[in-house]
Amino acid sequence: MGYLLDSIRSMGTTLRNFFRPPTTAQFPKVIRPRAERLRSSFALLHEENGDEACIGCLQCEKICPSQVISIDGPDKRESPITGKKRGYAKDFTLDLSACIFCELCVQVCPTDAIVMTKEQELPAFAREDLVLTMAKLYANEKGKHRAWSDATKLNEMQTPPKPPKPAAPAAPATPAAPATPAAPQTPAAPQTPAAPQTPAPSASPSASASPGAETAKTPEEPGKP
Amino acid sequence: MQNGFVHGSVWGVVICTVVMTTTAFALWFERKFAGRMQSRIGPNIVGPLGLLQPFSDVLKLLQKEDIVPEKADRTLFNIAPPLGAICALGAAAVIPFSPAVLAADLDVGVLYILAIGALSVMPVFIAGWASNNKFALLGGMRAIAQSVSYEVPLVLAAMVPVIMAGSMKVSDIVNYQGTHHWFVTWPFFLGVPALLLFMLAMLAESNRIPFDIPEAESELVAGVTTEYTGMKFGMFYMAEYVHTLVASAIAAALFFGGWDGPFAPGLHWMVAKTLGIFVFVYWMRWSLLRFRSDQLMKLCWKWLVPGGVALVAATGVWVNFVK
Amino acid sequence: MTTTHVLTGSGGRVDPHVVIEKYDPEAELMLLHFGPQHPSTHGVFRMDLYLDGEIIVKAVPHCGYLHRAVEKLCEQLAYVQITPIVDKNDYVSPMTNEQSLVHVFETALKLEVPRRARWMRSLFAELQRIASHLLWLGTFGMDLGGALGGGTSLFFYCFRERESILDLFEEVTGARFHYNTHTIGGNRHDIPAGFDKKVHAALDVIAARISEAEAMSLENQIFLDRTVGVGVLDGALALELGITGPNLRACGVDHDLRRDAPFHAYDEVKVNVQTATGGDCLARAKVRIAELKESVRLAKAFVDGLPEGGINGGKPVKLPVMTKIPFGQTYAAIETARGELGGWLVADGTQFPYRFKIRPPSLHALSALPYILPGTTVSDAVAILGSLDPIMGEVDR
Repeated sequence: MGYLLDSIRSMGTTLRNFFRPPTTAQFPKVIRPRAERLRSSFALLHEENGDEACIGCLQCEKICPSQVISIDGPDKRESPITGKKRGYAKDFTLDLSACIFCELCVQVCPTDAIVMTKEQELPAFAREDLVLTMAKLYANEKGKHRAWSDATKLNEMQTPPKPPKPAAPAAPATPAAPATPAAPQTPAAPQTPAAPQTPAPSASPSASASPGAETAKTPEEPGKP
Repeated sequence: MQNGFVHGSVWGVVICTVVMTTTAFALWFERKFAGRMQSRIGPNIVGPLGLLQPFSDVLKLLQKEDIVPEKADRTLFNIAPPLGAICALGAAAVIPFSPAVLAADLDVGVLYILAIGALSVMPVFIAGWASNNKFALLGGMRAIAQSVSYEVPLVLAAMVPVIMAGSMKVSDIVNYQGTHHWFVTWPFFLGVPALLLFMLAMLAESNRIPFDIPEAESELVAGVTTEYTGMKFGMFYMAEYVHTLVASAIAAALFFGGWDGPFAPGLHWMVAKTLGIFVFVYWMRWSLLRFRSDQLMKLCWKWLVPGGVALVAATGVWVNFVK
Repeated sequence: MTTTHVLTGSGGRVDPHVVIEKYDPEAELMLLHFGPQHPSTHGVFRMDLYLDGEIIVKAVPHCGYLHRAVEKLCEQLAYVQITPIVDKNDYVSPMTNEQSLVHVFETALKLEVPRRARWMRSLFAELQRIASHLLWLGTFGMDLGGALGGGTSLFFYCFRERESILDLFEEVTGARFHYNTHTIGGNRHDIPAGFDKKVHAALDVIAARISEAEAMSLENQIFLDRTVGVGVLDGALALELGITGPNLRACGVDHDLRRDAPFHAYDEVKVNVQTATGGDCLARAKVRIAELKESVRLAKAFVDGLPEGGINGGKPVKLPVMTKIPFGQTYAAIETARGELGGWLVADGTQFPYRFKIRPPSLHALSALPYILPGTTVSDAVAILGSLDPIMGEVDR
């Protein structure tokens, strides 16, 4: 009878799986290896010279779709390291319990200040512990494994590769450039994007070619940054 | 075997305790077994290898709030779980676990087993009706139809060993198999179909997959036990396992020779055979999908009942003319 | 009301627009709320079933229990911010959600997406389709076979294979689920080195093990008994109701947006559209399994032929105001695992959409329920609902 044979076949399948090793990784004794690019929590970084990288430009606060970032700033004062006047964030709070981990805040940061970390587990005993204060964010810089991405890498990845012809004017898509020039720009002038986008002369099928697109943009001059 | 009241009650208590404890470990074993079949580990946190898991489950159920729905029929609602447990355990009284261990050696042992099995329909339906819940009612209705229908193939299949051994006493049947062959080995053309029929009918009686439509979780939330909480639910749950265990023991006694074995007959053979059949039942549970109600009934009345009748007739012919 | 119709297993329908009084004692129909809390309604979903014994006389579905006002939220978010929000509509295949969204915006902007990004999107869509169909098979097994039984074994096998695809996605994007890897104009994450080998390895395992899942489902007599002739959906009715995807192809209608209205890179790689006849649960199951196998082949083709180049034709997201779509209406759709997922955008020149409507395929699939459920039993209702593969997240948004 069909039922009998098919039942035997099903039971054979389960028996075959009985002898396979189980796929369970008994957390927390065994931490399953995650991908290189895993993104979970956040950290705020310092620059190499010890200064805080965050300039309080509020771009991450504006781009966050869930509005979990609240920044008190920008606070223009003299840097204790370089002596120059620059913006700071007086207070920076990120509510991890409401974050949707979309990585947009990392992408828009002009100074690579906010990055994501690669933690396996994010549990806490109280809701308050999930609200990342500025202190916790700077503590994560040293205490947690950094995730792969920061604004520079993401922008580099998303920028079309330069064409091989050398006629492109001196507008290197050097991503390290945007740190200083973005600093004096006030957040009220959102028209100029940050430097890493290659300007129009390259053959990239970028939006600046289409007429109706970003109306606020003008084709930038190459030497802008 | 004496049928004294004292003898019966002492052994009864012993058997009940042993069966319930075995159920607890059978529960543990099933979960590990099912886990391995599904590419995962079963319980392994509570106790070494998770052995204390059933006990922690029982403790958990004990401390839950006992909720009775407002419009439910209180008396019936409360009677159903212990009645289910009683019916499940009752059949264990006549099973010869070994030549010395037997609670009540009734002359109509097989009939008693079938009667208790038929009685076990009642608690299911009482639960379904008394819950005042449409899902439970549907489950109860299906359970009645299924259980009552599958009584017939069960009786017919159980008749085969009775006719062959010439007695309804279960110990007589086991003794007969001890002196002659086990019924599944000879005559296998009668024994194997009878075993098949008995197993299918037994699965249907205890609402096991593939016949578990009365308690189909995906359709009826929890079937007849939807409104039960705490230890009452625990009793139903346990009654199901006990029923399966006891039915495996009955199948071992009727078809596989009970405590008989190639060497050193005794309790250990009975235990081994019971657990073997039990494992097979659970293996089937975790591999197969479930039948729909009407397909189940069709299977019973169109295939199993005529097959059973033919089998009984063939057994009669065999016993009269061939032996 | 009088029940003058024939109540058999097939046929005997009540016009869905006939109103039955809530509880009419003379009709002796039992009203069963296949409620929002139920183990197998695939999310929060309610069906009012009017039962005569076990046979359904009339079925009234109610959705909306998972409404999260996504479309209203989209009106308050800039175009560049919406992508991670619509991820959560069809929460079982987030890649295709994002893709449908950015596809609409790119169509409105007439933005050209680089070839590499289009191929990557097709690769992700196919991998997501495999993952979605595996999940469907697992949950369908649970519906048919029980949460404590054979269905669960099938469920675990399907999820075990699905995990490898989610790991692949984690390699690329950093998230196992809800990736936000698409942006207007292209993708945000490029494929790391060695990805194609991992894709091949994972897909080989899936292709080998799908036969196990089939042995427990499609080739199982009990499964066939539960699905043959159950919930027959007529092709004409399906077209009238706007049903697309595997549900439509199972009725014999040969329609697949990947071939008929190519998007991403489907104009460069041929798609073998899988159809079946009969329109019953078995046909739908067959179409999905066949699509799964076809997607394995397609995913391998896409990862092998991935062209070089940039992955983003627009600008990387920097500011909410950077993308403004001029005044106008646009509709664009892609083919997801469930059917045609489309978006209708009414733009007004600012960086916020004026109205963005999502056209979910599952909603149309569920609208067939009042037509195909009457005459079947309660067990069949579960099987039919499972075979239509609705995801309440996108039905209710």
